[in-house]
Amino acid sequence: MTIRRLLTLLACTATLAVAQLTPAAAADAKAQVKASLRLKWLPQTQFAGFYYALEKGYYKQEGIDLTINPGGPNLLTENLVATGADTFGLSGGSDSVMAAIDKGMPIVSVGVAHQITPFVFVTRKDGPVKTLKDFEGKKVTTWFTGANYVLFGMLGNEGIDRAKVDIQPQQVSVTPFVNGDIDVVTATWYNELNTIKGRMKADDLKYFVAEDYGITFPRDTLIVSRDTAAKQPQLVEGFLRASIRGWRDAMANPKEAVDIVMKTSPTLDRAHQEAMLTEAYRLMTSGKAKTEGLFTIDPVALQKAEEFLLKNNVLTKKVDVSVAFDDRFLKAIPMQDRLP
Amino acid sequence: MSAAAAALRPAAMSVLRGAAALLVVAALWEGLVIATGVKPYYLPRLSVILQSIAQVPDAYIAGFLRTASETLLGFSVGAVVGVFNGVVFSQSRRLREVIFPLFVISQTIPVIAFGAVVVLWFGNTILAKAVIAFYLTFFPVTVNTLNGIESVDPRQVDLLRSFGASRFKLMRQLLLPAALPQIFVALRLACTLSLLGAIAGEWFGDTVGLGVLLLQAMYNEQVVALWAAILVAGLLGTTFYGLVALAEKKFVFWKAEQT
Repeated sequence: MTIRRLLTLLACTATLAVAQLTPAAAADAKAQVKASLRLKWLPQTQFAGFYYALEKGYYKQEGIDLTINPGGPNLLTENLVATGADTFGLSGGSDSVMAAIDKGMPIVSVGVAHQITPFVFVTRKDGPVKTLKDFEGKKVTTWFTGANYVLFGMLGNEGIDRAKVDIQPQQVSVTPFVNGDIDVVTATWYNELNTIKGRMKADDLKYFVAEDYGITFPRDTLIVSRDTAAKQPQLVEGFLRASIRGWRDAMANPKEAVDIVMKTSPTLDRAHQEAMLTEAYRLMTSGKAKTEGLFTIDPVALQKAEEFLLKNNVLTKKVDVSVAFDDRFLKAIPMQDRLP
Repeated sequence: MSAAAAALRPAAMSVLRGAAALLVVAALWEGLVIATGVKPYYLPRLSVILQSIAQVPDAYIAGFLRTASETLLGFSVGAVVGVFNGVVFSQSRRLREVIFPLFVISQTIPVIAFGAVVVLWFGNTILAKAVIAFYLTFFPVTVNTLNGIESVDPRQVDLLRSFGASRFKLMRQLLLPAALPQIFVALRLACTLSLLGAIAGEWFGDTVGLGVLLLQAMYNEQVVALWAAILVAGLLGTTFYGLVALAEKKFVFWKAEQT
């Protein structure tokens, strides 16, 4: 008798337990949506927050089974997202997003990572270039993938004819500048500048900063296809929430964040990656992000960028910035969860 | 001395000679860099490169295995399809006239132009790289198989026919074996090409592979890591080539006797 009662009790408990567990487990299993994030470049701590969120399961908790696909020199993130090959993209910047939309690609930006211009123009302190005006007749190299617009804008704002500057496409290496073969080199704050500082004395360098000349090009834009934005707003929102959480926690544990990125690419240089993380986060938390939160979309800066791109024939017609950059997904996340 | 030992000796000797040559090159590399004071940026010391590999061996082993499988997959399919094409073209003049020009056109397109499309189609899969390796491999094998079959002495063909050999028997017993030396020329060529294809394929946003290590090192200006990736890629290429050459020796055993 006692055994039978015990068995009954056990069966009841088991049924209850199963009933308790099943919905949770089922919800967990069915909610996972497969998605991918295409980066703008090779794995490095410039993207630490995304790798951190992935490693810690933040995307899983939002019901997203995310794969991070690195970018590279031969890939255009806007194309891959527009065709649906990738769900999310961290693409070039405000310039490449608007140019892609101008070409008719069905994409929309849902967040902007780097609030201020990530590029800086570097020269030798003891060299012939003291002011922006001195760029005339000097050898300046830049990337023709966005950084060139920053340079054109700076020169334009100072009334300098860019035809008088010997502007050449910049190759992979900063060696020509280190060797003194060119006068001004383009660097990103987080990457090439570190490389240059590793091979020259930091005190010997002079910087020309875009913001000092009235130019701001927000870059590293998060994009989705228009289709995804319309049909899966929950997915976009969840992705943003997990990514922001990843970035905030990565910055709270920078050593661990570097570890996680280096697990993907073990041959990276650790010191370089640590410096990159600090600088990348500085760019992400500059400007409006301080008060409006990470990935915030600053319509004023973007509008200025649009006008500049239109004037310089990068765009063939006006692009409606408020359509190209859609902040309703960000706005759905409480402010205190977005602040750096 | 037994016959087996006598047969092994030349092979062992050639391995030894190869190893000795490698050691000499290694010593020269190390010595010259130290003696001439070349900046490590242009050419690091061999010992430094080997140390950097020893620090993160897993990354290089994983890269080696991944690229090796992509290469092997593309190569194998390319070799089989190439031989098949050669056989079919040798049998049907019409097919050859229709399809062969398409192959030629396909080969004039640089593979790098295809890379982005292949990634769109196949994603970051091992298949994407194998497809590129295949694309570079099947054509030389097709051409050489066809050439090999066509250069068979027609009198031999006539002789077998006069004995009532079927088309299939003719192919299996005369044409293909006679074409084998030519086919192996293509296979040796194809093993370098398929490796090239696999590495180029990895330049379109993959995460593992020797091509990925090369790309990362190149764009991060990590010269030592760049050389490390080059060395490991060289090791893979040489091993692969050696295996194909070994297979050639085994299957085309009469070649050595002829020359």
